[in-house]
Amino acid sequence: IPSSVILVSENRLPFTFSSARAMADADLRWLGLSDSKVAETLKNKSLTEQLLSIIKLAKDQLAAAGRNVQSFPKGSLLYNVGTKGKTQCAHHLPAVVRLIVEDKVKSDAQATAAVNYILTHAMADLNVAELEKECGVGIVVTADEIEDTVKSVIASYKEKLVADRYQFPIGKILGDTRAKLKWADGQYIAKEVELQLYELLGPRTDEDTKPKPKVKADKKEGDKKKEEKKMRVIEGATTMEELIKTRARLHKVGENYKTEGYVLTPHTDRLLKEHLRRTGGQVRTRFPPEPNGLLHIGHAKAININFAYAKAFDGVCNLRFDDTNPEKEEKKFFEGIEQMVRWLGYTPAEITYSSDNFEQLYKWAIVLIEKGLAFVCHQTVEEMRGQDQKPSPWRERPIKESLQLFQDMKNGKLEEGEATLRLKLILEEGKMDPVAYRIKYCHHERSKDTWCIYPTYDYTHCLCDSIEDITHSLCTKEFQSRRSSYYWLCNALDVYCPVQWEYGRLNVYYTVVSKRKIMKLITSKIVRDWDDPRLFTLAALRRRGIPAEALNSFVARLGITGSQMVIDPHVMDASVRDYLNVHSPRTMAVLDPIPVRITNFSSLSLPSSISIPDFPSNSCSSTHDVNFSDTLYIERDDYHQGTASKEFRRLATGQNVGLKHIGLVLYLEKEITGEDGSVTGLEVRAEEVNETNKPKAFIHWVSNPIAVQVRLYERLFHHKNPEDATEVPGGFLSDCNENSLSILHRVYVDRYLATVKVLDRFQFERIGFFAVDLDSSKDKIIFNRTLLLKEDSGKK
Amino acid sequence: MAPPTKPNKTPKKDDKKANGVAAAPSAAPTGISREQELQNLEADKFNAEQDLARLTRLLAAMEKGEMTEELLEACPNLQEVHQKNAKLKYRKAILERSVAAQEAENAKNGIKSAAAAGPSKGAPEAKKAKEAPKGGEQKGGEKKGDKKDNKGGEKKESKGGDKKDAKGVDKKENKTPSAPPRAKKHNYVVVKDFAGSIMGRLADVFKKAIKEAFPSISVPLVLTEASNAKFGDYQCNSAMGISAALKAQGTAKRPAEVAAEIVAKLPACPLISKTEIPPAGFINVYLNEEFIAKQCGEISRHGVKLPTIESRRVIVDFSSPNIAKEMHVGHLRSTIIGDAISRLFEAVGFDVLRLNHIGDWGTQFGMLIAHLFDRFPNFQKETPAIGDLQSFYKESKKRFDEDADFKKRAYECVVKLQNFEPEFIKAWTDICNVSRTSNNEVYDKLDIVLNERGESYYQTRMGAIVEELTTRSFLREEEGRHLMFPTGCDIPLTVVKSDGGFTYDTSDLAALKNRLFEENADWLIYVVDAGQSLHFDTIFAAGRDLGWYDETQKRVEHVGFGLVLGEDKKKFKTRSGETVRLKDLLDEGVRRSEEKLKEKNRDKEMTPEELVAARDAVAYGGIKYADLSHTRTQDYIFSYDRMLDDKGNTAVYLLYAYARIRSIVRQSGVSESDMTAFATNNEHLPLSHPKELKLAKQVLKFSDVILQLVDTLMLHTLCDYLYTLSSTFTEFYSECYVVEKSKEGTTTVNMNRLVLCDVTANTMEKALRVLGIRPVPKM
Repeated sequence: IPSSVILVSENRLPFTFSSARAMADADLRWLGLSDSKVAETLKNKSLTEQLLSIIKLAKDQLAAAGRNVQSFPKGSLLYNVGTKGKTQCAHHLPAVVRLIVEDKVKSDAQATAAVNYILTHAMADLNVAELEKECGVGIVVTADEIEDTVKSVIASYKEKLVADRYQFPIGKILGDTRAKLKWADGQYIAKEVELQLYELLGPRTDEDTKPKPKVKADKKEGDKKKEEKKMRVIEGATTMEELIKTRARLHKVGENYKTEGYVLTPHTDRLLKEHLRRTGGQVRTRFPPEPNGLLHIGHAKAININFAYAKAFDGVCNLRFDDTNPEKEEKKFFEGIEQMVRWLGYTPAEITYSSDNFEQLYKWAIVLIEKGLAFVCHQTVEEMRGQDQKPSPWRERPIKESLQLFQDMKNGKLEEGEATLRLKLILEEGKMDPVAYRIKYCHHERSKDTWCIYPTYDYTHCLCDSIEDITHSLCTKEFQSRRSSYYWLCNALDVYCPVQWEYGRLNVYYTVVSKRKIMKLITSKIVRDWDDPRLFTLAALRRRGIPAEALNSFVARLGITGSQMVIDPHVMDASVRDYLNVHSPRTMAVLDPIPVRITNFSSLSLPSSISIPDFPSNSCSSTHDVNFSDTLYIERDDYHQGTASKEFRRLATGQNVGLKHIGLVLYLEKEITGEDGSVTGLEVRAEEVNETNKPKAFIHWVSNPIAVQVRLYERLFHHKNPEDATEVPGGFLSDCNENSLSILHRVYVDRYLATVKVLDRFQFERIGFFAVDLDSSKDKIIFNRTLLLKEDSGKK
Repeated sequence: MAPPTKPNKTPKKDDKKANGVAAAPSAAPTGISREQELQNLEADKFNAEQDLARLTRLLAAMEKGEMTEELLEACPNLQEVHQKNAKLKYRKAILERSVAAQEAENAKNGIKSAAAAGPSKGAPEAKKAKEAPKGGEQKGGEKKGDKKDNKGGEKKESKGGDKKDAKGVDKKENKTPSAPPRAKKHNYVVVKDFAGSIMGRLADVFKKAIKEAFPSISVPLVLTEASNAKFGDYQCNSAMGISAALKAQGTAKRPAEVAAEIVAKLPACPLISKTEIPPAGFINVYLNEEFIAKQCGEISRHGVKLPTIESRRVIVDFSSPNIAKEMHVGHLRSTIIGDAISRLFEAVGFDVLRLNHIGDWGTQFGMLIAHLFDRFPNFQKETPAIGDLQSFYKESKKRFDEDADFKKRAYECVVKLQNFEPEFIKAWTDICNVSRTSNNEVYDKLDIVLNERGESYYQTRMGAIVEELTTRSFLREEEGRHLMFPTGCDIPLTVVKSDGGFTYDTSDLAALKNRLFEENADWLIYVVDAGQSLHFDTIFAAGRDLGWYDETQKRVEHVGFGLVLGEDKKKFKTRSGETVRLKDLLDEGVRRSEEKLKEKNRDKEMTPEELVAARDAVAYGGIKYADLSHTRTQDYIFSYDRMLDDKGNTAVYLLYAYARIRSIVRQSGVSESDMTAFATNNEHLPLSHPKELKLAKQVLKFSDVILQLVDTLMLHTLCDYLYTLSSTFTEFYSECYVVEKSKEGTTTVNMNRLVLCDVTANTMEKALRVLGIRPVPKM
């Protein structure tokens, strides 16, 4: 999957004759648009067309009324109507234009109301009286009314106004007034507000025009600000539901026809009514993965949006396996996907399969052929690909022939690749006749040996949505270009047509997520499997110890805008750290142990085990017991041979160090070295910590420990975009960090950890967050490093 | 950076250190603590454990013969085959179900299963088979035309009369009619001198060795070219079969032992440099390079020599269009394949008679002659300007169908014609001549020579056949028809119709006898589309029943071929759905070929004469080659684009390759005499570079291909050979300089390589000529 999808604009104006362009230009000027606005408008083909038809309507009406056609003062209202009116209500536009021409609709607010009305009633006959009422025709707002209303609004803010003076946001006053006086002239209101404010506050002083003085912030508040700033950068919410409720402005159930680009047919009204009857007006979404790989972080967004949207509006969300390509589908993917959806905390209302509809889809394909909307084609894949593909020579073959050949395809009479069924339609990008069916002599996990023709995504997806009565078909932006084919197909078959909404895809730097590429990494033995913790599949994240809750809140923070976003893994890590800090119990573990014997152990009379809180910052935290004896292990790094430099604050000749949780201070007595001169052990004297011997640092330790394996992970790729050929000319495989996995085979942890379960999460004090790997067994415990405690500032 | 290949590769530094320790275990390790060493050992152990587990799984899977995913992943070739196989299996199951479903539906609708295949690919076969009994009732020469042309107009004509007869046969047996089981394959080709043939000689020595080593065993010799240079040049794979046969006899011997015993008995042979026996029991044979060099020397001195085969008199029956109809694409394959087969036989020195068994006799002539009388009353004096025979035919047909009086006159004309009345013979000759002229144009273009011997030739002989069959009591009368029931055949031959007329069966029997006895041919090769195999099998069975020939001695064979399809994989037609006239098809080929040559600016580098020669060679060669390079028995898709493509296995590619080699030799500046001198001085053509040897070996395989061809008549093997030869040449030429230019500007000609080029070109030329393709020295 390309890291960025370039959408070809569908709005390029096809004016080939300059005269046509000049005419359009003149007409747009007639609306009173500025030069730049005209130029901008001309770039948008569909808007221009819409405006030109409105202008023609207006001119005709003016001429019929015997009025001046040369100029028209209310052009901006027509422009407003042109930009807001959608194609599906175009047949009602003349009535709106008439209201403007007849000067019954005078303000933008009225025009907007009129357009909203015709859109809502797109499928019904137009009731002009109701329309006029809806946009306040004939309602006159007097100057007195305005004056009174403004006065009351200002009075309600008076206290604050007097304090803040002109720093007070005027918009609030304007907004409140407008809400009370729906059809009042906006300009008049503004003038009135200004006037009354002047009366209240007098002229503006220098003080009023100065920027707001910054509140002097102490350090803590500064942090808060930073935090706030961060939140603003990633505009989102802390939970997905909240995000959906506040940000997602999608259509109401049953109002499909109000959405952009929705196509009305004579059956739309009936189909929508039937749809509402079946669903009872409930929101229905679905998460439709193809079971040919495992889910990755991008899917976390899709899952969250679909499930949370349903949840937020009390609806249901299905998990639908889009299992139309049996060659690549495997049982383990079905299971893996469902497992991940549940892991993220969502429960599908129903688990459905595209393949359950194979029979229906086949019947529909025959209907399409019979209607002359599909044909059997023998072009090869290569011939169909590419920019300037030739039209299929079989496009116009007789319907009977296509029917027979389609039957032949189904009956196994043709070879793989010898024929396809194609839909007769041209997509936005100029791609012609998408394939609906292809031959595959391949066993299907669910339909078994029934079929040797399988439908494509293009064909299957919208029809399955329709069958499931999906209300909001949410998908990523790349599919915007398929929206028209989505609608075309539902309408060609006269079945309920859901609305497709697109949101921006979530990508992450420093990784690859495409199935093919991950497969390549696996077969090249760079990573071990789909859930290798260096990957960004959901299984991998889970295995690495990333909590689902943290992942969900990370996705929620990103928002649901239409723009594609590429996120640095650090951003996710931050969410994860926030969560783990609070939720993962602390323990001590020594990654590179060096034995230390306390020579004066017997004189200290210490217990053989002590209790340590799981969450030291929480006073009523649960605890765990750790052993203590005369021999303990500390990190090799925490000891420095010889005299230490100033920066080194831990154990060294002449420098003591504290032990965490037990209140001891160690003094080096003797260093034991092996034949090769390396340190093999230390002998120390211990003292209880007191005012006089306070050490510079306290270190972690273990005693009478058990050995475990620890796997340390680093970024798999060196570059931000390993798939980008300019960044990484050698291809993503060449960009792998050879040392991204290090395995420590002899790490010491406290004995109580012998009973951990797979995926238990811990914070190893002073080291990082760790989780128990899936490979662990009773005899061999393995920890994966989830994250370091702090963001790794750079390469080590 | 190469991706690490070991699973779970630990950091490199660890590896290095670990290796260091392993390399010098006793030396005091420097800079490594015991703890670290322990870590390293653990790391190695961990990796080893992982590898061991994987390999253990693989081994277990192999032993059990389980196709685990892991195993398939480890063996990509296996995976590919496995997948292909699975797909085929799946498709088979789907088809079986479709057949069952269709059968059920047909049963419901009361259709008999002979037609159950429906309008599928298999349909033409089934349809033709069904037509055969129908044909038995038809009027004389009409029938063959109908079968071959399969054109709508004629079908209608025969429908009325045929229906009940067809039913009669169908009633008897509700299954696809079958011919007698194919006779065991006989060895008709007796090689007197293997010439350059390698396979032939190897087979000879291996047969001897096997016979000596295992006299009690008789299994066919399995000798193949090695698929991979790793396994030598050829492989004898008989040991497995012998081992199995021995086991059946109660002696257990592993194939490898068997192979060793065969090799031990191998007579001294100049071809073989060494043999190898891998444990599985193959015998890998390496060719002696000296032998190769010597053979190449021979070719350069004496030209390409083909094996000598005991000469035979062969009749090749091909093309066989119908009078009064233009030749169309349906005749194309017969013409091209028949010609190539004739050329092949001629090349190995056979006495070949090429016969064009045209449809020039039958009811339709009565109609045509009657029409001629009306249209050109003066035809006795002036040759009638019939012009377009096809529309002439249509006109007369229309009258025949609509005008009862005309119809009656037409029948009278038939009788008179068959009585050889001069006036009618004259009219008939005139009509035939029109057709002949037009056909000859096509033959000329395609360089095809044919002796016309149409159905009329057998008119007198048919009477004799009926007499013979009657006296020998081979005929049985049924509903006024005289039928012959050859052994093992479901469908009888209709020798005499109820109205006393003869049929296609009669004329083919007459032709068979004529060819066996009057022409005294040893081999009879009928190049007719595969749809008629049932008919010919029945005729041949009749011939054997009648004791006309012994199939162990005489080779009487129907060489069938598949249909010509358009790019839509349906019967090849014009856009408007009509049959494509052969002439138009050829002209279009020439047009496109010229276009292609001009596109490449070849017209700027050649004289107009050269351009025309190249154009025609490409066009006609392309059409012929496209046909010949496909497996004869299968349908093939006619595509100008494909046949005129200069890449891949096409005539154009070969012609270019050929012209290029010729131009290399031309441009070397070495004279013919110099080359001859070099060849004379070097009995062994010096070959040292591996690519020289590879090319030489490929050249020498020509004889083997020819030998095989004479046996199988599958011409695509020769095409494959040519294609491999030119690819091998390309390999050779890209690594071996023939003419070297030094920095100082002096040129050295590597004479041995130049001669090898010449040998290659000569071999190609010979092969192209067998295929009927004109090689042109300049393209």
